[in-house]
Amino acid sequence: MSSRILDVNGGQFQIDVAESGSGDPLLYLHGIAGKQEGDFIAELATSHRVIAPWIPGFGSSTGSEQIADFHDLIYLYLDLLDELELRDLPVVGHSLGGMLAAELAAVQPERFSKVALIGSLGLWDQDNPVLDFFTVPPAEFAEAMYTDQKSEAALAIATAPQSKLPEVDPETDEGKEIIDYYVERAKSMSTAAKYLWPIPNKGLSKRLHRVTQPTLLIWGEGDGICPPVYAEYFAAALSNASSQIVPGAAHMVHVEKPGEVAAIINKFLST
Amino acid sequence: MKLEMFHLAPYRGLPEDFREKYRSVWVDVPSHLFDPKLANQYYNETLDELVYGAEMGYDGICVNEHHQNAYGIMPSPNLMASVMARQTKDVAIIVMGNSIALYDPPIRVAEEFAMLDCISGGRLVAGFPVGTSMDTTYAYGANPSTIREKYAEAEDLIIRAWTEKEMFSFDGKYTQLRYVNIWPRPMQDPHPPVWVPGAGSIETWQHCIDKDFMYAYLSYSGFKRGKTVMDGFWKVANAAGNDNPYQAGFLQLVCVGDSESEVKETYGPHIEYFFNKMLHVYPGFSDSPGYRTIDTIKAGLMAQTSTFGRAGAEYQTWDTLIEQGNVVAGTPSQVTEQLKSVVSDLHIGHLMLLNQIGSMPHELAKENIRRTATEVVPNLRHIWDDKPEYVDKWWPSGAVTRAGEGVAS
Repeated sequence: MSSRILDVNGGQFQIDVAESGSGDPLLYLHGIAGKQEGDFIAELATSHRVIAPWIPGFGSSTGSEQIADFHDLIYLYLDLLDELELRDLPVVGHSLGGMLAAELAAVQPERFSKVALIGSLGLWDQDNPVLDFFTVPPAEFAEAMYTDQKSEAALAIATAPQSKLPEVDPETDEGKEIIDYYVERAKSMSTAAKYLWPIPNKGLSKRLHRVTQPTLLIWGEGDGICPPVYAEYFAAALSNASSQIVPGAAHMVHVEKPGEVAAIINKFLST
Repeated sequence: MKLEMFHLAPYRGLPEDFREKYRSVWVDVPSHLFDPKLANQYYNETLDELVYGAEMGYDGICVNEHHQNAYGIMPSPNLMASVMARQTKDVAIIVMGNSIALYDPPIRVAEEFAMLDCISGGRLVAGFPVGTSMDTTYAYGANPSTIREKYAEAEDLIIRAWTEKEMFSFDGKYTQLRYVNIWPRPMQDPHPPVWVPGAGSIETWQHCIDKDFMYAYLSYSGFKRGKTVMDGFWKVANAAGNDNPYQAGFLQLVCVGDSESEVKETYGPHIEYFFNKMLHVYPGFSDSPGYRTIDTIKAGLMAQTSTFGRAGAEYQTWDTLIEQGNVVAGTPSQVTEQLKSVVSDLHIGHLMLLNQIGSMPHELAKENIRRTATEVVPNLRHIWDDKPEYVDKWWPSGAVTRAGEGVAS
């Protein structure tokens, strides 16, 4: 995997773009917790050149303060795709990235050959609400994200202190470590909140009908963030969608079952 | 020295087992616990207590804004302040304040504050808080990642609406107005003094210095832990060559009685109600993502700036609360001595005192107000009188100034 920093929009944004593999290009858009996706991207990269930009606020991408809302983010990504000269390629998005993929495909349907949405946010049903993962206790957040509560990733979430930290001394190593952790979390979660707060439908339901290319919906059966019933909502709004529910996985289905999810996507893209 | 009486309008009727049964006093506090008949009583007693505080000799009376909670039932402090403007004659009316990022367009605040200033005859203090995470990002759904920027823009718009002589256009990121031309305009010239109640962000210090606003540190951690935050403020202020204590204020809970044992017996249960029920906020609500600034986290001030989010914490007893300095209690002379050191340790010109605390019945609250205002306040009022170089530029021009009227014993 290689990584480069790309100036976008006259240097207003510095976008950290990871690339791996070779072959036909594939755009991958990460979700609310993008750092554990290495295995999944590596699986996709066995058959594609995977281009995975980081949303400003995540990774080392900068310029988040210049983005007011989801609308601005969509146009930043259109600029970025122009810069990368990416057209007529499939897009795969997870969670927040799924919402972004669907919005991009609604704005420029001709740019994307196919769309794969994994546990995608972007719609809202009062009776089956998306979990308020910004607010729930850490253990509940972990359960919504991962099936195996003993996994390292689940434990990292579950054992994080919530909100009221003990007094920490920024001069000590231990204090620094706690503070660094909180700074990183504050940056990525506040970025996610910018696009998802307080309800994660920013008008996608009004535009989704414009996505007419073949679309695949992949959901973890135990997704506690965005329940699998949302695959049905997406399918109902799309004219050319199929869905696949993956048992034994939660919101981070592509992290929990990287080979299986990549194989489903490869099959979808090759037919 | 100015002494102001702070009032939260607490909802005093929470059940005994509230802490065990419910997760939060804020945001999702069950609506069935709200009794409008009790609220009728509490609102009227609150208004009476505020007027009483003014009559007993406080320099100002403070009200503030909170939403969806039983901690303080004043979603609109301006409604309370308008009654104060009519029912009091000379005290400062301190609205502490309006969460300016929540109003679209924010000139609504410029207008209502101008109304209050005109009705009261120039006695208004305009408080501009960001607002707590619970109030702003949960109850009002404001986006935590943009609320501070929105706040800054709203502040700019309001100050301009008050001060510019001609109508103007405002092309902001969050508010666009083709014609800004508010009627009424404030009575005070150029505008009511601005106080910034700060709790959650260290950037507020520099902001108050840059804009010449008054910084009020409102927390319940008491004067011992509050010193870390006030020292931080003074470091920034001193670097700008400023050491005027009137630019800083602090909130302290106070109980006055005849002896330590009597005070404990009389006030203890109500203080424990306050700390264990009214601050019983589910931690997830107290710190929405992006609400707290990165610089505050980096400074290691998460704990010092976290007033709320105590749910799940240990039950706090009277003895611990006294020991930690959360509450200053005792005889008038004991309280006076302690508050004198609070004023000098924190170097403040404004001390806001909370006399109605937790579940105190009306008569007890009045007793506490009367004794504090008549037996403590007069002995603190003249603390800065021997420093004529310190001028209180943050006091409303239409309100009375009692300091300097003769030194008390």
